[in-house]
Amino acid sequence: MTYKKLTDPFTEKESTNTILRKTDNAVIPFDDANTDYIEYKAWLDAGNTPEDA
Amino acid sequence: MSQLNVNAIRSANGTGDAISLAAASNTCTANITNNLSNRNLVINGAMTISQRSVSTAWAANGYLTCDRWNHTINNSAGRFTSKQTADGPDGFRRCLELDVTTADTSIAANEHALIQYKWEGQDVQQLAKGTAGAKKFTLSFYVKGNGNATYMCEFYDRTNDRLTRQQFSVTSSWTRVTLTFNNETSNGTINDDNSHELDMSIWLHAGSDFTSGTYTANTWAAKTNANRAVGISSLFSSTDNYFKITGVQVEVGDYATDFEHRSYGDELAKSQRYYYKNPSNMYLTKYGSGSICNVFNPVTMRANPTITQGSGFSISQISPYSFYIYKSSGDSGVAENGYEVSAEL
Repeated sequence: MTYKKLTDPFTEKESTNTILRKTDNAVIPFDDANTDYIEYKAWLDAGNTPEDA
Repeated sequence: MSQLNVNAIRSANGTGDAISLAAASNTCTANITNNLSNRNLVINGAMTISQRSVSTAWAANGYLTCDRWNHTINNSAGRFTSKQTADGPDGFRRCLELDVTTADTSIAANEHALIQYKWEGQDVQQLAKGTAGAKKFTLSFYVKGNGNATYMCEFYDRTNDRLTRQQFSVTSSWTRVTLTFNNETSNGTINDDNSHELDMSIWLHAGSDFTSGTYTANTWAAKTNANRAVGISSLFSSTDNYFKITGVQVEVGDYATDFEHRSYGDELAKSQRYYYKNPSNMYLTKYGSGSICNVFNPVTMRANPTITQGSGFSISQISPYSFYIYKSSGDSGVAENGYEVSAEL
């Protein structure tokens, strides 16, 4: 599993509330109730870092 | 005009009242076993909705076919294909079938396979678990296999890490299983929120890490993995094996009522709180140097959902109600591929 930071299309700056899961091109919102985000946080906690946008 | 003046009505051969009448309020309490509405806590219990697929070979844990039903195989070489199959007892046209494609007769300690239904905490508050008014609840379902087998049904209060379980039997005919579960008045209440706080698992295969303990039926206790699947058969013992289930109902009370059939539209809308797929093309409108489409979800979703779309697009402004799909270059009116939206537990 790998992740990549996103650029917000409206602000054209790095998104502060979404991340891309590269395996299936899924955009995951930063919501503690979202199970994909919970999985992403565990991935970060394991010492991983996402690719830059 | 005549009237019947009694305090209760029961069968001549019964041991309990079918109808009890209360003098003070001029009301009655009746143990009616049919025609009650909105009592089933399970969405898609009749397995009528399968937005993702009608047949998927297990490749990873998750939701494969029938909506709301999660599949797990951990550490086992055994494999099944999950199907929405046209089979069922009278009144049911669909079931969830797990059809074994790879057997596993050398069971390592840490193996297990199960299907699971997950609830938001706010949807099970009527059980009053952990309070003085805690209510018994009854699970019922129809099940069929290719032969006799014993499996385990487990409820897991994830808020408080408490579990209870009961074994059940499967035969080669459709059989209705009814299991009434005791509740507990202490050890914590279930969080009242939109997160995964309670689940029901049907254990179909397990190694000694989950079978080497003691089976105590229908008693809530702290989690002890060794007790979770004691005495069960292994679905993976042969590629001849299959497991079919439908008509799943969980309701407050200590008896099983008739299954509450809901319309396809009702079940679809309830399922779409957690997941929906729009396979249709969509049309983006010119926006700056690119194009954009504002998508409104068909129902309010459980949480901010994950959006899966083809490459070359950006997703923004995600909420339980809507989101934007944006393409950095392109003209308006261009048909594009569909998308999947998931707020699963």
